[in-house]
Amino acid sequence: MEHFRLFVLPFYAGAFFLLITLLCKYIYWFIGLSREQKRLFWRSLPTRATWKSVVEIFNESLLHRKIWRTNPLLGYMHTSFALGWFLLISVGWLETFVYFKGESVPLYVDIFFSYYVHPIFERNFNFSLIKDALLLLILVGVVLALFKRLYSRIMGMKRTTKHMLGDRVALTALWLIFPARLLAESLTSAEVWRFGGYVWTLSENTQLIPPGIGCGSFLTGSLGQWLADFLPARIIEAQHVELTAWWIYSIALGVFFVALPFSRYMHIFTEIPLIFLRNAGLRAAEKESSFDHFQVDACSRCGICIDPCQLQSGAGIQGVQSVYFLRDRRYGRLTDAVADNCLMCGRCQQACPVGIEQNTLRLNSRVKRAYPDSPNRYAYIQGKDLSTGEGKVGYFAGCMTLLTPKILRAMEQIFTAAGEEVWWADKNGGVCCGRPLKLSGEVDAARKMMDFNKNLFRQHGITTLVTSCPICLKVFKEDYALEGIEVLHHSEYLQRLLAEGRLKLRSGSETFTYHDPCELGRGSGIYEAPREVIAALGVLKEPAETREHALCCGSSLANTAIDDEGQRRIGEQVAMALAATGADSIVTACPLCKKGIAREATLPVYDLAEIVARAL
Amino acid sequence: MTGRVIIIGGGVAGMQTAITLDELGFKPVIIEKEASLGGKLCRWDRLFPTMTPAQEVLGDLLKRVEKTASEVRTSTTVSEIEEQGRGVTLSDGSRLDAEAVVVASGFDIFPAERKEEYGYGLYDNVYTTVDVERMFREGGVRMADGREPKTVAFLHCVGSRDEKVNQRHCSRVCCITGVKQAIEVKQQIPGAEIFSFYMDMRMFGPGYEELYRQAQQQYNIHFVRGRISEASPTIDHRIHIKAEDTLIGRPLRMSVDMLILAVGMQAGSSNVAFGRNNNIDLYPSGFLRPLNQFSGNVRSSSPRLFYAGTVTAPKNIGESINEGIAAAYQVAQTLNAAKS
Ligand SMILES: Cc1cc2nc3c(=O)[nH]c(=O)nc-3n(C[C@H](O)[C@H](O)[C@H](O)COP(=O)(O)OP(=O)(O)OC[C@H]3O[C@@H](n4cnc5c(N)ncnc54)[C@H](O)[C@@H]3O)c2cc1C
Ligand code: SF4
Ligand code: SF4
Ligand code: SF4
Repeated sequence: MEHFRLFVLPFYAGAFFLLITLLCKYIYWFIGLSREQKRLFWRSLPTRATWKSVVEIFNESLLHRKIWRTNPLLGYMHTSFALGWFLLISVGWLETFVYFKGESVPLYVDIFFSYYVHPIFERNFNFSLIKDALLLLILVGVVLALFKRLYSRIMGMKRTTKHMLGDRVALTALWLIFPARLLAESLTSAEVWRFGGYVWTLSENTQLIPPGIGCGSFLTGSLGQWLADFLPARIIEAQHVELTAWWIYSIALGVFFVALPFSRYMHIFTEIPLIFLRNAGLRAAEKESSFDHFQVDACSRCGICIDPCQLQSGAGIQGVQSVYFLRDRRYGRLTDAVADNCLMCGRCQQACPVGIEQNTLRLNSRVKRAYPDSPNRYAYIQGKDLSTGEGKVGYFAGCMTLLTPKILRAMEQIFTAAGEEVWWADKNGGVCCGRPLKLSGEVDAARKMMDFNKNLFRQHGITTLVTSCPICLKVFKEDYALEGIEVLHHSEYLQRLLAEGRLKLRSGSETFTYHDPCELGRGSGIYEAPREVIAALGVLKEPAETREHALCCGSSLANTAIDDEGQRRIGEQVAMALAATGADSIVTACPLCKKGIAREATLPVYDLAEIVARAL
Repeated sequence: MTGRVIIIGGGVAGMQTAITLDELGFKPVIIEKEASLGGKLCRWDRLFPTMTPAQEVLGDLLKRVEKTASEVRTSTTVSEIEEQGRGVTLSDGSRLDAEAVVVASGFDIFPAERKEEYGYGLYDNVYTTVDVERMFREGGVRMADGREPKTVAFLHCVGSRDEKVNQRHCSRVCCITGVKQAIEVKQQIPGAEIFSFYMDMRMFGPGYEELYRQAQQQYNIHFVRGRISEASPTIDHRIHIKAEDTLIGRPLRMSVDMLILAVGMQAGSSNVAFGRNNNIDLYPSGFLRPLNQFSGNVRSSSPRLFYAGTVTAPKNIGESINEGIAAAYQVAQTLNAAKS
């Protein structure tokens, strides 16, 4: 213990605390997983999924490739901290290993290497050079981060995320760590420059360093030399100056480690188990589960999800986006105002570099907050079979198509033209598909609608179910379990009729632009079918943001908190983007989108079925 | 000094402005988009609340305009108004100088197709109050197959007080129009059952409330408080409606022979283009915003730009005509002051 210095204690305390906290958290969360989830995880070890996770951890947790793609400045900041620090630690270990020829030395020697060993020139390999280079890489990142913060404050940008107390402490400590390290190493070097030192080795013969050589490399070495020349000898000689710098470095490390589990930096470690679990097949579900912790804590609050959110860009609504939702949920202060104010359009999920299932998490928060269902609610739906017609193909209009009867009328004409025998599930009224209730968190009530409709479909013996509403489509596919019944969106059905030659359409030179409905595109992955149908009729002009990146019409049923003016403004934003294509008319494939866009559109807005029926 | 005053729109407000300006010694020019003068009045049959034939009011105004020295240019549209009312640009690209401009371009009828859920233009036997006026002019209310309806439902506030179609304002005249037409239908078909679905009954003018009372007591028209949510056709071409009676709080379904939509007034389609003029300000509803709503109802922020009639807000005929007179006097005041 002759080399022990008190200043290493804050580091030790912090690191110990961090280790215990992380272990407790992760083990506790893991124990909370369902048996099935655990089974999935164990089964995935070691398979290709494991290898995939390792690659993904390297790419995303260290290199942050996805962040680079959205924002190179942010990418550099993340990479410099994560990869730079990781390499600094790795190189440090390697250096210690080489230096002490594999002999074990106390951990503090490893961490505070430059203090203990005055590395001048390590045989054939110059570690100091690498470490100085890495330190520089990180310091540039720190400067950029400071600059970004300052700049956005000056520019009054609202779009950076607000910080919690834990975040502030951790952030301050984090920013201090590397400048403190630079100062400490340089001061040590200065002392060696001025007075010489000795190189600590395990063997008996200690190597003496004469004054005028210093230690460290181009950064710490040069700064050390400069300090040696510049500072009065008495300051350099007074050991406490050097020691104070090392104290600061150690305290910064310790404080950062202690604050980490309570701050957004929790994401640094949490992303690792998340990636393993996700690649093992674990997903968030309708009900909250222990797995959600891994996702919620893996959010780095990078704020990338704020920009694509139209609540912000279209309606000027702040503080409800996924980053805020996840933050509020994590700290147990989620309010209805935040949970409910979301279109569940999925644009943020598309952009999130961590791949967090924001919509599902928001949904299960809503489920948790929903009022319990009362047994007699919706009792009246029993026996309400208003269906008509007979056929193996069933058509479900859904509430929204019943409010846009032009679509219904068009489907009638199309079915007749194709000679299809159709069972009309709800032309004269019927029971809602259940998705709006589900999206508001009322899953038990929604179940009643789902069970009712499912029975109805079974009773009438259909083998194909066509719907013109993507909202119904999604719930049929995800929650109905309709084995033996093929579920098709009308765009897919139309595509099939065209491919089979069952519809003859007049095509022309008319130009259309197409709006991807959220529930159909991002929600169900259907992008090609409607485009093929449009191509059979005329010319398609894509808007600037399309397919996975398409805008939301703003009228989503998922948002129960937005006011009409907010919906209108988002609708206007979309209508303008679509009009900018210069097309003759706007086509979409969702009755709700049609209404939402039509309120502000300067161009006529049609459903896909309407333009098909017109061309029969 | 040409003394020329341009009046945009030859509806009741525009015609009255011309008549008064002529009396005051100015040279009005009426520019009217349609082939003839009269505006919406040309489409009405009998006027509330007195059941006066629209032709009487229109004929009188036309005769008086004819007697003036006004110049009338029909089938011409004003596409832009120059700064400070110094002139206007016409649809053919030519421009016309003026000493002052009176905007009397009125309102547009809300296109009922936009409320797709009511099936206007899609189902037989869904009509608007504007269609009903035409039917009365042509001899009476008939269904698509020529029969007289036995049950009729009126729906108020179609395209008014409705955020979903960006029409938040009340159009004021549709309530009384609905009441008037319900009575007229009952007079034509005494055995008919008539339902009126409303949110509020707004009987703002003299004799309106009395007419409403008469409709209930004498004509036994059923007024139901609640909006129809959806309409669908039945196999026999009737209309099935879903509504809620909000007074007793119960959902309601019924089939009727005919559904009549009381369409509202929306801002005239020229207003946006007019709004490019720096002195012309628009309400969020799209109607033009006068200088103030008390002593400046017919004024803009420019001393040579004036408003008259429904271009600024929904009004009845009497109110529109009064504004024509008011605008003419204010024009005269400005121009006379400039002369001296
Ligand atoms: C269904 C219905 C029934 C009604 N019944 C009654 C009733 O019984 N009694 C009653 O008092 N009121 C009634 N009203 C109200 C009445 O119609 C209006 O008060 C009146 O028409 C307003 O007249 P106006 O001159 O302001 O506008 P308008 O009648 O709209 O006239 C405006 C004129 O300007 C022209 N114009 C527009 N833009 C331009 C342009 N850019 N360039 C050139 N010309 C242009 C138009 O073609 C039009 O002729 C009714 C309204 C409705 C909707
Ligand atoms: S949810 Fe994703 S995009 Fe949004 S702040 Fe968190 S990590 Fe970034
Ligand atoms: S789902 Fe859409 S509305 Fe909701 S937070 Fe994400 S981007 Fe915004
Ligand atoms: S006058 Fe009556 S029908 Fe017209 S908008 Fe006002 S309340 Fe509705």
